[in-house]
Amino acid sequence: MPEKCLETVDLRREYLNRSFFGKVKSRTVALQGLSISVNKGELYGIIGPNGAGKTTTIKILSTLLLPTSGTAMVLGMDVTKDLYRIRKRIGIVFGGERGLYNRVSGLQNLLYFSDLYGVPASVSRKRVPELIEMVGLSGRENERVEKYSRGMKQRLHIARALVHDPELLFLDEPTIGLDPAGSRNIRQIIKSLKQSGKSIILTTHYMFEADELCDRIAVVSKGNLVALDRPSGLKKQVKDITLVEIKVFGDPENLIERMKAESKVSRVFSEDLEGRTTIRIQTPEAPEVLEAARRTASEYGIKVIEASIKEPTLEDAYLRMVEE
Amino acid sequence: MSRLEISRFQVVKASMGLTARNFFVDPQWIIPSIIAPFVFTMVSLFIFSREAGQTSAVLLAAVLGGGMMGMWGTTVYGSGESIGFDRWNGTLECTLSAPSPLIWIIMGRVLWNTMEGSLNGVFILVIGLLWFRVGIGIANMPMFVLSTMVTFLSLSAFGMLLANLIVLSRRGGFITNGIEIPVYIATGTMFPIVALPLYIQGISYALGPTWGIDAIRRSAIAGYNSGLHVSIYFDLLMTVMATILYMALSGYLFVQVEKIAKRNGTLGDY
Repeated sequence: MPEKCLETVDLRREYLNRSFFGKVKSRTVALQGLSISVNKGELYGIIGPNGAGKTTTIKILSTLLLPTSGTAMVLGMDVTKDLYRIRKRIGIVFGGERGLYNRVSGLQNLLYFSDLYGVPASVSRKRVPELIEMVGLSGRENERVEKYSRGMKQRLHIARALVHDPELLFLDEPTIGLDPAGSRNIRQIIKSLKQSGKSIILTTHYMFEADELCDRIAVVSKGNLVALDRPSGLKKQVKDITLVEIKVFGDPENLIERMKAESKVSRVFSEDLEGRTTIRIQTPEAPEVLEAARRTASEYGIKVIEASIKEPTLEDAYLRMVEE
Repeated sequence: MSRLEISRFQVVKASMGLTARNFFVDPQWIIPSIIAPFVFTMVSLFIFSREAGQTSAVLLAAVLGGGMMGMWGTTVYGSGESIGFDRWNGTLECTLSAPSPLIWIIMGRVLWNTMEGSLNGVFILVIGLLWFRVGIGIANMPMFVLSTMVTFLSLSAFGMLLANLIVLSRRGGFITNGIEIPVYIATGTMFPIVALPLYIQGISYALGPTWGIDAIRRSAIAGYNSGLHVSIYFDLLMTVMATILYMALSGYLFVQVEKIAKRNGTLGDY
């Protein structure tokens, strides 16, 4: 039986929207009884659409938010009672540009947080330069954070979360808004952290990222756990569908509408990138639908750059789960 | 890593250092922290110099009051805004996720702000003395130094109480900004509190800096009479008691306020 580093039972969280005078105007249920458990050394992903309850879960687990009901134990301690003991052993990375002191240098940010975590000066003097090296900020550590790119800030966030060498790391959408190179860089850092034995909870919107990094993935939607498995296991749940992927030049609207109207097509998704459109069609009859798509594109004078039949991805599994 | 011991001194020092760095790299803070109280003091001094006929004791009392205004202005703005700054930066949650009790972090910030406010106070004092040619003779220097230090601590403790409001909600900034001028008046920095309506005097007596300012003036000006009819020792005792009360209340409130903010989910608001 693997050792658990975290466990929640029936975790529920409601937000009350109050008027200036404190009157409750509305209630939003962010978590509706979430029960998860994470093993020591595991990289556990939480994926879900906006408002699914991912960040709320991370905030409760990192002692920054109280649950409305239910229990959450982190490293064997209760998040509502053992705040300071838990905080000494966990690290949190929030995604986005906020959360750093922009007007001082990256080095000063790290030294400041080292002090707040009670890291002796003799240790931080050695560890901080190592962290700067690890996240690739060597040579830029004395510049003000406001001069950093978004990717650099995100890497500094990670270094900040590691100043006290925590056992458990919470990464809340660490690659959000980063360019592909920046995201890859962060993913490499996450992999090396996992290899060093840290337990990691990762929330993300990017399915390929979850697929590449996570040992297990919890899919949450509207505050509920809708699926939990290894990435391969989640993909098996959509084995009944195949995908036709076509990349086209030109206005694809007519093609998309025609494919949506096809009886053998269950879903059509499209994504525009630099003048090209990638259309992904879910269907149990891929070869037939592929031919129909080629014909239709030709009818409308749309240039097909590439067309192929693909295995379903984690994204396809995810979309089916959160839409059901 | 569970054996990490949090050193109070380490946290307070780090917090002071960061606040100081942020202050020096952002010159716009100088406007509410230094220029505004300075202008306000100078205007008051002009009024006093005309109305009081430049009586040395009255002008010295006014200059000392001006110095206190500078200290208070910086303390109230700096203490409130340092947490507001964290909210705006998104660092409040990161700060709270550290195992250091918030009160130590805020203590470092408030200490820096009060120290900076004191320098501001001295600056106003020196300019006031030179401009209005008021005699610098301090009647009882040891008591003056003691009174100033005790008042300094009292202001810090008061600033910590105010910082609670900002942790609780971003709306706390309205209150801390709104009480700046009323506290100038209620603590008697410019006008004797005996001149105020009785119900406001009640508030004045509950404010530590009121007694501190009285002690400063009594020690600086021979024969000074604020109308309070108490000795300088009583002034100091009241300042110390108020300071202890504010500190104790702050310590309790920081824990409660953090709980409330976590229950309401307002720590990340900005």
